Amino acid sequence: MTDRLDRDIQDLVVRYRPIIAFRVRKALGTQNTDCDDLVSEILSQVLEKLQSGEFRGDSSLGTFVYTITSRRIVDYIREKTKVMKFAPEPEPFPDPQETLEAKEMSDRVKKALSRLKPKYRQVLYLYYYQELSREELASELGVSTRKVSELVNYALKLIRKELKS
Amino acid sequence: MSKCQFEDLIDGYLLNKLSERDKEAFEEHYFNCHSCFQKLQERDIIIRTIKSNPALLTQEQAETRSPILETLKREVASLFTVKQLALAGVTAALLLVVVLAIIPRQQAPAPNFFLSDEETVRGSSITLISPVIDMNQIPTSFEWKKLGENIEYQISIFNHELLWKATTRENRITLPDEVKARMIPGEKYSWQVKAFGPDGTLIAVSSKVQFKIAAQ
Repeated sequence: MTDRLDRDIQDLVVRYRPIIAFRVRKALGTQNTDCDDLVSEILSQVLEKLQSGEFRGDSSLGTFVYTITSRRIVDYIREKTKVMKFAPEPEPFPDPQETLEAKEMSDRVKKALSRLKPKYRQVLYLYYYQELSREELASELGVSTRKVSELVNYALKLIRKELKS
Repeated sequence: MSKCQFEDLIDGYLLNKLSERDKEAFEEHYFNCHSCFQKLQERDIIIRTIKSNPALLTQEQAETRSPILETLKREVASLFTVKQLALAGVTAALLLVVVLAIIPRQQAPAPNFFLSDEETVRGSSITLISPVIDMNQIPTSFEWKKLGENIEYQISIFNHELLWKATTRENRITLPDEVKARMIPGEKYSWQVKAFGPDGTLIAVSSKVQFKIAAQ
């Protein structure tokens, strides 16, 4: 019985830790040293509430974890603003360095980007770096928005191929 | 893997373009949808890599096999054989020699201008030494300041028209007796010297100086 519970807990942690961590980092920034603590705290809260029977299955387990995560993030920001008046503004797009895995993935992405044909590089640059909308990009390049989506999707596909190889 | 309808929100979510409602809906969704979360993670790395390294997308990288560059190279290669390329190189080099070395040398050291006997010019000048004032008698020689080596001087003596013209490499000339004989006391005369370079170009002209020979 305890073995099974342990395994369930293990599964739960394996499954939700990365998602919680992603959500927390997105909200607080990867540079924030409180991130790991906050993720652990949220996970133990989830386990606690599961064990005390607070999760009744009204919603999915995912939504349950999401709700706890969001609340904790809101609380954290509220605590910080009390002390600092303004919550620390997270850096919007930090270089992927936070984990070894992220760094390796980023290196592969770089390699893939440098191998792309100029037209795909241009599209990715305008769409992701300059943050042009698909419509703006379409008029910029003189093609349809559908063509823009095709170009972006194909470029992403090429990058994904490099990530999986 | 069938496409999830939330997938289209991934870019908007990562680029912070979603409305608060869509953002929350998508967040709740990726806590539940494994496929979307995987794609989200992957896209997040891609976007952050692009944001941190825009040069990767804007620079033309030499080491990458850019297809456009390759085609261009191949086209150029097919246009010219090695021999033709070498010939083109030699021609270009020769042209360079002509432009840089030969053409400047051919240019005259001084402006090329021509004067009729009645004209004077400003510019490089010759100083006349004597006679420059009225003379008691017919002058035996004419003298001017030397300009340099290897210069030919042309002296002209006028009364109302050209009386005598001679050339010399010295900076003085003795008047021949037959010219002296044609000069009359009491008359006004003028003289002028022109200097010519070794290649015959006019390089300097004196002013026209007038003198009067006193009547006897």
